[in-house]
Amino acid sequence: MKRSTLYLMIVVLLFAAPLLLSAAKVGDAAPEFTATASNGKTVHLSDYRGKYVVLEWHNNGCPYVRKHYNSGNMQRLQKQWTARGVVWFTILSSAPGKQGYMAANEENDYLTKMQAAPTAALLDPSGEIGHLYDAKTSPQMVVINPQGVVIYDGAIDDKPTTELKDVTDATNYVTRALEQAIAGKQVEMAATRPYGCSVKYEDATH
Amino acid sequence: MRGCNSFPGFLRRLFLGSLVFFVAGLLLCATGVHAGGTPIPHGTVELVAENPSIAAGQTFHLGLHFQLEKGWHIYWVNPGDSGEPPRVKWQLPSGLTIGAMEWPTPRRLGSSSIADYGYEDAVMLVVPMHAEAGLAASGPASLGAEIRVLVCREMCIPGKAQLSLTLPIKSLPSTADARTVELFAAAREALPLHAPANWKFSISDAKDSFVLTGNVGHAVTQAIFFPLAESQIQNAAPQKLLPVATGFQMTLQKSDQLLKPIEQLKGVLVLSGDRAYLIDAPLTKPDAAGNSSKVGIHAGSIS
Repeated sequence: MKRSTLYLMIVVLLFAAPLLLSAAKVGDAAPEFTATASNGKTVHLSDYRGKYVVLEWHNNGCPYVRKHYNSGNMQRLQKQWTARGVVWFTILSSAPGKQGYMAANEENDYLTKMQAAPTAALLDPSGEIGHLYDAKTSPQMVVINPQGVVIYDGAIDDKPTTELKDVTDATNYVTRALEQAIAGKQVEMAATRPYGCSVKYEDATH
Repeated sequence: MRGCNSFPGFLRRLFLGSLVFFVAGLLLCATGVHAGGTPIPHGTVELVAENPSIAAGQTFHLGLHFQLEKGWHIYWVNPGDSGEPPRVKWQLPSGLTIGAMEWPTPRRLGSSSIADYGYEDAVMLVVPMHAEAGLAASGPASLGAEIRVLVCREMCIPGKAQLSLTLPIKSLPSTADARTVELFAAAREALPLHAPANWKFSISDAKDSFVLTGNVGHAVTQAIFFPLAESQIQNAAPQKLLPVATGFQMTLQKSDQLLKPIEQLKGVLVLSGDRAYLIDAPLTKPDAAGNSSKVGIHAGSIS
């Protein structure tokens, strides 16, 4: 038992170390992942090559996330962009027992209750996808272009607060990145500080 | 607290018996009056004035004293990877102006992949205020501060508090009570010092990292750097320290969010014994930094 735990730790470290080193950056190819969605489907990122993909790190207990859901801002963005053919994945990287961890049925209830409309909510309790993209906060946002390259990584907007009213006059960085990229322009400020709560990985203590 | 009310009666009975008792009683009362701060999530915040009155033409100091339950923290001016610093909206009478907030040296909080900078237990942020020379000595001055603060442990809770303070305007400065003196002494102790003038710092650009070179006159074997600005260095990356005879070289990984070259790196450098210094390291040309002395070195790593 003890020995197997040790082996497991060594294996985890061997695999985790290179993952941490090769975290995705703007301009790099978006790391491939396979995930289970709350609707039970298996999602491979590579299946969506040819489309824009938005990744949204989520923790429903985080006051910065609640700002965007209670104001309806996140749902509005999800509907607006999925209607234009953009793929939107909400990613839950909280470890079991940590704030924001959701079993599949709990997440489905939440999506219904909040009238959220992502393409799918991906369950990442091991934090593997979170670490692949070096996600630090919720709601951290990543935009991937049809060629599979990360074109934006950072904050959802320019108002790093928990105040609902700040949503109204904020400049939304996801919208700007998508609009600029679709118009064939360079995305300005392609990497920003992703404000919010720290992602509640297994080793989170704060 | 209750003892304060009985003091006048006590004094009457003793017929102004002992001045010592009176002074001691005042001090106790002062402590009692100040002890309760305004509640915020998992703690309190209190607006404290260093002097019990304002003198026209003088600079004086206020403190925002945060006390937190065990395990909870608030953030430094640069919060690091997550969170946000406390924000204050001041409501001041005309004739009073505010200076830049002074932030005590933070602690590194977090995990292996996420690093935040903040304070646990208790901290006092110090705010210099200036009273105009022509400040009328008519009525007392009412000062207000609306505080917004994010308090976190494993989870975060935003809090708000409205604080106020009324101070008389007097021509002569008055002296503070013992608790206030102690609070401000402790707060100043916790502030980083300005680095001595003969210490020299610079950074050089080394592709994915900055090399911070410190020339302080002696070998430095222990150092942690806290950047004042967000998005300059990777907060969670190990800070590789290389002691040299006259100081150190520290490798700081660049932030992925750093899209433009920087001119300088400002921050707080904490050396052994928790001695903290505000430093400003300008960028030097690559050839000037690359050939420093590397005699008698051993590498250390601080994460």
